[in-house]
Amino acid sequence: MLEEVGFVDVRYGNRVDTFAGAPGEAKARRYQVHGYTFVARTPG
Amino acid sequence: MSATELPVDEDHLRSEVRRKYREVALEPGAEHHFHTGRFLAGHLGYPAAWVDQVPEQVIESFAGVGDPFALRPLGPGENVVDVGSGAGFDSFCAAWQVGDDGHVVGVDMTPEMLDKARRNAALVGADNVEFREGFAEQLPVADGWADVVISNGVINLCPDKHAAFTEIRRVLRPGGVLQFADIANGTPVPPGALREIDLWTG
Repeated sequence: MLEEVGFVDVRYGNRVDTFAGAPGEAKARRYQVHGYTFVARTPG
Repeated sequence: MSATELPVDEDHLRSEVRRKYREVALEPGAEHHFHTGRFLAGHLGYPAAWVDQVPEQVIESFAGVGDPFALRPLGPGENVVDVGSGAGFDSFCAAWQVGDDGHVVGVDMTPEMLDKARRNAALVGADNVEFREGFAEQLPVADGWADVVISNGVINLCPDKHAAFTEIRRVLRPGGVLQFADIANGTPVPPGALREIDLWTG
């Protein structure tokens, strides 16, 4: 989607187990939800 | 999915997200489905120098999902927009990096978070940070003003992510950088479940 909007040089970092040990962990596990970091830039 | 085929009612989702984050602002110690506060910031890998130095009330409502500065530290003098700034912790981390020659605009749609963020700015002496009310899809920032846009756990709460990214691109200068943290699912969410508002807000 970032590229669709016109961003370029999209990269992402390691996943983080954001919900580990949190009350919402079971729901997060159901859909394999993790946190990620992203960087992209506009052309120019 | 086009903007006319949103899986949930946009106004209802915003209302529910406001309700949830009002709770996080006013009752950060209550049980939420996600971690919050200083523990969470440490868990996500923020530098101890940032996490340990702030007063409890500045970090207690932090509810990010990653470290938006992990892949790229900010530079001195950069103008930064923090989309969904909450109680301001990421905005202050940005302010410390850009220094006195930079400026940070935090944008949030929850009045209780904005109030708390403004009090927190005064508490940490962040003179180069201001907080404005607004939506990710309608940022109260001029075209091309920002060198960098940051965000943390907010885009996933926007029903129309294409509109949010388009608006972020509008406020970035040519060559500007979007750096953000957010959640993503490894297993597809069934179409029916996408309409469950609780799945969006927790």
